[in-house]
Amino acid sequence: MADVSPPILEMRGITKRFPGILALDDVAFSANRGEIHSVIGQNGAGKSTLMKILAGDYAPTRGEILIDGKPVIIHNPREARQLGISIVYQELSLLGNLTVGENIFLGREPVRTLAIDDSHIVQNARGVLAQLGVDYIDVTQRLATLPLAQKQLVEIAKALSYKPRILILDEPTAALAPKEADNLFKILTRLKEQDIAIIYITHRLKEIIEHCDRGTILRNGRVVKTLNIERSTSEDTLIELMIGQEIESFFRHEDGHEQVSDQHALLRVENLSIGQRVQDVTFELRRGEVLGITGLLGAGQNLLARALYGIQPHVTGVILRDGKSIKIDSPQDAIMQGTCLLTENRKEEGLFLDMTVKENITIPSLRRFARSRLLPILANRRERNAAQEFISNVNIILRSPDAVMRTLSGGNQQKAILARWLLRNLEVLIFIEPTRGIDVGAKAEIYRYLDKLAKEGRGIIVVSPDLTEILGISDRILVMHEGRMVKEFSRRDASEERLLSAIQGATNNHKVGENIENGRHSAGASITGSAG
Amino acid sequence: MAVIQQEQALQAQPGERIREWLNQFGTVLVALVLIAIFSLTTDHFFTLQNAQNILRQIAIPAIVAIGMTMVILIGGIDLSVGSVVLFSSAAMNSLIFNGVLPTGPAIVAGILAAGLIGLINGVLIEKVKISPVIVTLGTMVAVRGLGQMILWINNSWLWVRGPIFSAIKADTWLSLPIPAVIMVALYVVAWVILTQTPFGRRIYAIGGNQRAAELCGVNTTRDKILVYVLCSLGAGIGGLLMSARLSAISPGVGQGLEFDAITAVILGGTSLAGGKGRVEKTIIGALIVGLILNYMTIKGISAHYQRAVTGFIILGAALLDQLSRARSES
Repeated sequence: MADVSPPILEMRGITKRFPGILALDDVAFSANRGEIHSVIGQNGAGKSTLMKILAGDYAPTRGEILIDGKPVIIHNPREARQLGISIVYQELSLLGNLTVGENIFLGREPVRTLAIDDSHIVQNARGVLAQLGVDYIDVTQRLATLPLAQKQLVEIAKALSYKPRILILDEPTAALAPKEADNLFKILTRLKEQDIAIIYITHRLKEIIEHCDRGTILRNGRVVKTLNIERSTSEDTLIELMIGQEIESFFRHEDGHEQVSDQHALLRVENLSIGQRVQDVTFELRRGEVLGITGLLGAGQNLLARALYGIQPHVTGVILRDGKSIKIDSPQDAIMQGTCLLTENRKEEGLFLDMTVKENITIPSLRRFARSRLLPILANRRERNAAQEFISNVNIILRSPDAVMRTLSGGNQQKAILARWLLRNLEVLIFIEPTRGIDVGAKAEIYRYLDKLAKEGRGIIVVSPDLTEILGISDRILVMHEGRMVKEFSRRDASEERLLSAIQGATNNHKVGENIENGRHSAGASITGSAG
Repeated sequence: MAVIQQEQALQAQPGERIREWLNQFGTVLVALVLIAIFSLTTDHFFTLQNAQNILRQIAIPAIVAIGMTMVILIGGIDLSVGSVVLFSSAAMNSLIFNGVLPTGPAIVAGILAAGLIGLINGVLIEKVKISPVIVTLGTMVAVRGLGQMILWINNSWLWVRGPIFSAIKADTWLSLPIPAVIMVALYVVAWVILTQTPFGRRIYAIGGNQRAAELCGVNTTRDKILVYVLCSLGAGIGGLLMSARLSAISPGVGQGLEFDAITAVILGGTSLAGGKGRVEKTIIGALIVGLILNYMTIKGISAHYQRAVTGFIILGAALLDQLSRARSES
């Protein structure tokens, strides 16, 4: 009782407001020396924002941070490191052309009379890796030659080289195979014994139960609960806390769409593989349905969507359109076959920020506005009217169709891309994370649009890690796990709980045999299940 | 609250509007101010004769700058245009001099040969994926060599002969020298292509966001190669005008023209990052350079100084481009 030393880290009343969204609301969080503390929550619950505040990437709108009981202000990542906070992000921050050692000490290479002291780097890097219990990585090797799991270890070594007292890992196992993940936990246990506080973010609940000491559950930017995690803690408990009560009415339909039963599916994919990352995927998209595809980060669903649009290399397998085998090697092929893709990277892959909204909308349909085939001069008024029609259709708020794209909000930009493809009038629309980073109002409008498009008899594929979204809009849901299609749910059978256990790659005995609609899927599930 | 933010975004600030206006008409304003200053400080500047001189002087760089504008719009650069001017004029005059083709077809052949150089540039840049600076630096040297080879076969010089050339050199239309008429006509064509055709729209799209253009189904490779071909065709026409202006083609013809063209493009406000710019402003850019050089000539300033001045104009314009880009992105 007497020895109440303060926890190494305490965050009090942390609030973070972004334009139009309250990402964190009065969050309290603490971490002790020598514990693995998991931060648990769905996508958008605020986990990453909280960690970025701790790492000095964001400043909190309100709230205070105490280290060893003393209040601190973290202005930038450098100050965070000086306070002993190191973070390993989901995306690797390493440079392939440098050696392992150079990567670990990038930006603070030991110097001996002006030149970089290579032997010193080698020695120090070996030391850091030894701390991880890793002796099989050659520190003089170029990073690009290492497999992904070892790159991940180098990333952790880099974080450790700052001699942190608090180590944050943001989904470090997303890209790792189960065996590699086990290995990582051995390493984390070792670090724990060195009195380092480890904050661990993952979507894999099994890992949390097996390896973490405490868990803090976030939902919609608030802390639901902080609890001690025992071996006996069930995944279901965690899932229930994560979900809470959701407002289903936010989404559109009650009973799903009537599917047009044609002889052939609108789109059929057979045995599609992408290198080792997507394996042997088979599914159908029917007319008039919204097909949701979900899975953990890196389970292959995004690659699959890209493959269907011809922008993913190393694709094998068969794609059938209305029963006829087709070749899709480029977006041009895909568009010719009536398919479009709206990716999650709006800025990089969708928008022309310095062009007008009108021009952004009509770009794939320009041929239609040519006055004649021989002299392809644009019919300006027709083009403008068409753009205006779809601008009002999807309800974009702007001064005029000649407003520059850059001036629009994220939601309106996304609607403009939607308008672009509606004008092109295609039958298969594929969306990757259609509502990423846009405000609630625009979200609801986009959901309404997906609904309307399906009712018109088009086929919609929505790829998203957001289970609430997937559940709310899909007629059927496919779940991917480690590159394979492992389960299929009908709208009626799906629930957030079942989806959560499916995306974890749960074996059939978790929820005995339900929802498995054909044998192939169940076989896939048991294979990956036994591996995990 | 979201609605309030949107409405604020919909209303342009007054300062914003002035800046926009300056962006739009700033170059024209500079040209007018220069004309005013030069007219007041010299006796011979503001005369019809001198205006015709200036137009004759700027016609060739201004025409070459049309293609350069398109190349810079797609985020590229073409350093070979000066050499292509030599090559095409050497080719067409060699054909005429040796009696291989009559004047008209020979001119067409020379311009098409120039287009071929553009095709080589485009294929190396887009298919082989070598950077545009390296490729066109290579063709700049190689094509000048080719042109000089043609001259060497013809005893190091080629005399320009033919009624078409002398007509271009001497005739005027409504007091406009013929090269200026050709220049204006080509600018009208380029303006139509860039603003009124799907191809022009795609050029802006590619320069603005190539990845997004690809994902919109634009064949960016084909379009970009075509832009390099158009740029070289423009330089080929420059070769025609150059032949008309000179009485003989010598090995140094067209040297440094690539920089005059790039200067005009940048002064016209086209962003070196691609995707932003207007061809009708490039002609103003060319005019500004022409005005300054003409003024220095009238004032008797040596050609060596003139070169340095153009160099500093490029640097200054590039600086302005960088500053405005930094501001628009912040």
